Amino acid sequence: MNTAAAARRPDTAGLALHAALPAPEPSVEVEDLRAGYGARTVLDRLDWQLHPGQVVGLLGRNGAGKTTLLETLLGLREPQAGSVRVFGQPVAELADSERARVGYVPQQSDLFEWLTPEQMLAYFRSFYPRWNSAKVEGLMSRWEIERDKPIARLSGGQRQRLSIVRALAHDPDLLVLDEPVASLDPAGRRDFLRELVEQVIERGTTVVFSTHILSDLERVAFNVAFLGGGRIALHAPLDALIESCLRVVGTAAEVEAWCARHGAQVLTRSVLAHGRLQALARGPAGDALASAAGATLSVERVTLEDLFLELTR
Amino acid sequence: MPDLELFTVATGSSEPIYRQLVELVRRRIAAGQLRAGDELPSVRELAQSLVVHPMTISKAYSLLEAEGQLERRRGLSMVVAQQHRGAQHSAERAELLRPTLERAAKETLQLQLSASQALALFKTILRETKDLSP
Repeated sequence: MNTAAAARRPDTAGLALHAALPAPEPSVEVEDLRAGYGARTVLDRLDWQLHPGQVVGLLGRNGAGKTTLLETLLGLREPQAGSVRVFGQPVAELADSERARVGYVPQQSDLFEWLTPEQMLAYFRSFYPRWNSAKVEGLMSRWEIERDKPIARLSGGQRQRLSIVRALAHDPDLLVLDEPVASLDPAGRRDFLRELVEQVIERGTTVVFSTHILSDLERVAFNVAFLGGGRIALHAPLDALIESCLRVVGTAAEVEAWCARHGAQVLTRSVLAHGRLQALARGPAGDALASAAGATLSVERVTLEDLFLELTR
Repeated sequence: MPDLELFTVATGSSEPIYRQLVELVRRRIAAGQLRAGDELPSVRELAQSLVVHPMTISKAYSLLEAEGQLERRRGLSMVVAQQHRGAQHSAERAELLRPTLERAAKETLQLQLSASQALALFKTILRETKDLSP
């Protein structure tokens, strides 16, 4: 996969979105990050920025390192190299007052299993100056979470909802969600998305969440970041990506010539049978070019699923 | 205000959600279902109803405003622009067929059919459809 060019300028497309605004300090800034387990490197020379108010969907295949990345940017895992800054400060030195501005929904529930939801929330309330009791009460009722049963005896869906309530309770400025809807049914997922749209996005919270449910992501993630080969291969507004990316299929020579002629940047190449080549190309005016194909060359528009398959390799 | 049920979007499409909304409002206006002065749902209302990022809605509204379909009223509500008193002129309505015909054109090329073969077929289908309609 040829994403080196994209990886060197991970936020190129994001610039268009922010061009009109004075560049605010990123909520999260990751530079030259290397992380892994012992000798195994999962993330390598990864650069990434999350800007205030952005809602970013993090996409990657199983084992690509999404959880490692999210844990590292929260300071829960020490990087092997590189730096992570949250609200402008190195994450390892983040003051408690700044840490209280972060909300986190881990993939594995780490909730206090022997406590009841009521007791667990009371315990956490003492750490956060900005605890929003009214919000907690509202969500606990609407999401029908049992308050007086030990957490260990709640269903997977109820535990996940409780984990989301805990992360939203202190109105965080940065919200990190690792597969937040994996054990929710479609109705539960819709409730969660609705809360994101009606409350969290409305407040200008910076949100990053990983998920494999692309339809959810399409609704709420204005920006998407693709994790592949240990790096953020591309981070861009989703609308712009769907409109500017095309799948170009033909003989290798045809594909290369077409991309060169239209000034399209080749993001990925895969070799097909009979010497044919498939390229994911990002054109300056991709949408308009989609009809420009000939008989042996096909140029087609793409969906988010196509982008996922190509850009997370 | 038009019913929120009038607005629908699909995920998993090669058409971004904001673009689907633009096309939908254009067609409703062209057909006269949305008329001059009709107020559209606020960005917030529509975002909540469709469960999509509010910026997606404002992007669609801004585009529709820029092309003169919608006007921004004081208090930021969006209304259908004054010139849209009823169904549009045929030339403008025809332009709305473009995306569908572009798809047909692409498939014509993929099937290696000539322009005259494709056009003859389109004429036949038009005639058949017209005969069938009351």
